[in-house]
Amino acid sequence: MTGGTGDTAPADVILRAAHVSVEYSARRPTRAVRDVSLELRRGAVLGVAGESGCGKSTLAYALARLLRPPARMTGGSVEFTPAGGQPVDVLALEGEELRRFRWNKVSMVFQSAMNALNPVTSIGRQFSDIFAAHRPGMDSAARGRRARELLEMVGIDPERIHGFPHELSGGMRQRVVIAMALALEPELVIMDEPTTALDVVVQREILDEVERLREELGFSVIFITHDLSLLLEVSDWLAVMYAGQIVEYAPAGEVGAAPAHPYTAALLASFPDMRGERRELRGIPGTPPDLREDLAGCPYQPRCRFAFEPCGGVTPVPVPVAGRAGGWLAACHLHDPRFGARGLPASARPRPAAGSAGRPAGEEVPVAGGEG
Amino acid sequence: MSERSGAPEASGGQSVSEPEASVLEVRDLVVDFRQRGGVSLRAVDHVSFRIKQGQTVALVGESGSGKSTVVRAVGQLVRASGGTVLLGGRPAGRRGRGLRAYRKRVQLIFQDPFASLNPMHTVRHHLARPIMMLHPGHSRARLDEDVTALLRSVNLTPPDEIARKYPHELSGGQRQRVAIARALASGPDVLLADEPVSMLDVSIRLEILSLLDRLKRERNLALLYVTHDLATARHFSAEIMVMYRGEIVERGPADDVILNSAHPYTRLLAAAAPDPSLSREQLAAARKARQRARAARAGRSAEYREAALGDGCRFRLRCPDAMDVCVRRPPDVAVGAGHRALCWLHDPKAAVMTRG
Repeated sequence: MTGGTGDTAPADVILRAAHVSVEYSARRPTRAVRDVSLELRRGAVLGVAGESGCGKSTLAYALARLLRPPARMTGGSVEFTPAGGQPVDVLALEGEELRRFRWNKVSMVFQSAMNALNPVTSIGRQFSDIFAAHRPGMDSAARGRRARELLEMVGIDPERIHGFPHELSGGMRQRVVIAMALALEPELVIMDEPTTALDVVVQREILDEVERLREELGFSVIFITHDLSLLLEVSDWLAVMYAGQIVEYAPAGEVGAAPAHPYTAALLASFPDMRGERRELRGIPGTPPDLREDLAGCPYQPRCRFAFEPCGGVTPVPVPVAGRAGGWLAACHLHDPRFGARGLPASARPRPAAGSAGRPAGEEVPVAGGEG
Repeated sequence: MSERSGAPEASGGQSVSEPEASVLEVRDLVVDFRQRGGVSLRAVDHVSFRIKQGQTVALVGESGSGKSTVVRAVGQLVRASGGTVLLGGRPAGRRGRGLRAYRKRVQLIFQDPFASLNPMHTVRHHLARPIMMLHPGHSRARLDEDVTALLRSVNLTPPDEIARKYPHELSGGQRQRVAIARALASGPDVLLADEPVSMLDVSIRLEILSLLDRLKRERNLALLYVTHDLATARHFSAEIMVMYRGEIVERGPADDVILNSAHPYTRLLAAAAPDPSLSREQLAAARKARQRARAARAGRSAEYREAALGDGCRFRLRCPDAMDVCVRRPPDVAVGAGHRALCWLHDPKAAVMTRG
């Protein structure tokens, strides 16, 4: 288990964000990201989960300095530490430095592969453009070689370099986009719903590919998606967002069986277990709050089954979850010592867990090949 | 909430026993799409199924498998090239009054509640129209009463306030509830729901599926639930049909199809879905196994791929269990009570032919 946010040793952290807030200006501004802090260890995968409108994509854009008006960062700091280098204040980068930071250090993979690629230029040309902009010293033969190499790396026939995006399936296009994101060997790749538009089988194949490349190349990943069940599998640490805030920050391998925040528990329960016992399935009644409002108290309180006195008036801050791994935080009064730290009632657990560490592991591992 | 079918009933489309039980029966449905150059694409290839009153049948598959085309053909939004649709034992009307009568009894719910409601009209308008078509003599007060009742039945409250709203003033979940209420307005016997929750937020998907489940029970509807999500298919349906490239490759009681899959394609789909019960070590082992399986298949010759274009099994190029015999059309084999798979693996003769 890597990752972690504890204030322990200045471990090998590649990205540290503290108290980041983002606003969409308007007559009544939307406060899309509210006081978010997170930390990503080098080589680790941080999953960011949440539903539409929770601020997860806005946060990603903020971390990569990709916000455009009317969005603007209203507070906080972002610090990036390149391998073997000194921490860089990302928010202070300007001009050429900022350009180098993007793509060279941090790259991003967006949801719709179809829209990220230019339909009227060949795939090779699009790789060429990247190198022309960021590696001016490379001659055209070297660019072609590198493009072929990258395509091959993500499992695409290098001859496709002469092809156009429309000749590829959605899954193939997403592979091309991933190859482009890796073209300059970034240290951090931010993936925003990278497989959401794809079928489960293709999705699984691409995730396997990303995992293999990560083992090979050692980049770190921030993986953003609404699919919490998927994130539990691909991440090392997990941040669950609600109403612009991180409400739980936990090791992905453990939070599935024992969530600390009621929202995490409810979100987990929204994914029926394909092979589990049939049980009553319920979503989360109600809707998230309007982020143009000032939120008094806990933003999840109106939908929370476990709300009690302080939740309506006192805004929760992330507190350590008693008895859990270091760095495990929940922004919930149930865990706040000021209110008795009673913890999340067992009835909220996604599964009536036998013990604390999830279900017995005696089950057969489903194994099948991917797409041929 | 979750439906338990009693005795699993054979859902093989060929058998015509106890016709009184099934509201909707589809026999040998074929849909061809003409493509540029005169070549036609068979999107749906001899699909047969039946749905009883008060029963949910799920149709699952990847995009492009033809599952939406089945819905559109049964809903008569696209013309079938062949096959029969029986509603209450009688052939579906194809035009004029017969078609209008059919549409009242067979209603559709689509994936995108943003596109399926007219932004220019209020919720009331969307619901009042089908009621007016059904009861031209209704007074305005009576219409309002019916609209209110419909909104209550889909848990949209307060109904008076919701009725005055326009689609853009509603959340995605509320819009889908309006679409469901509209589908109910004509008093249908059959609901065809095409990915009804795929575009909605995770936390409201189960609410909408539970709503459909309750309405199905209260109104004794036959519900076809089209989805790519095996987990909700299992939890909300009595039977599951798995579609691949236009054909139903496996069908049977929901638990049997998911927990005891017979077709390699179903197993592949099931293995690709995240499984929260697996440990980190199990996940890593599964990933390595998938990578090995892919690597093993990558070496197959182009010739082998070419040969596959005949009328053999459509899945065999991706199939981890492919055998020589798979170049021939796979048989529809019974693998359990009401559980069938279109696959040579389960044919006793195939084992003899390939291994003998």
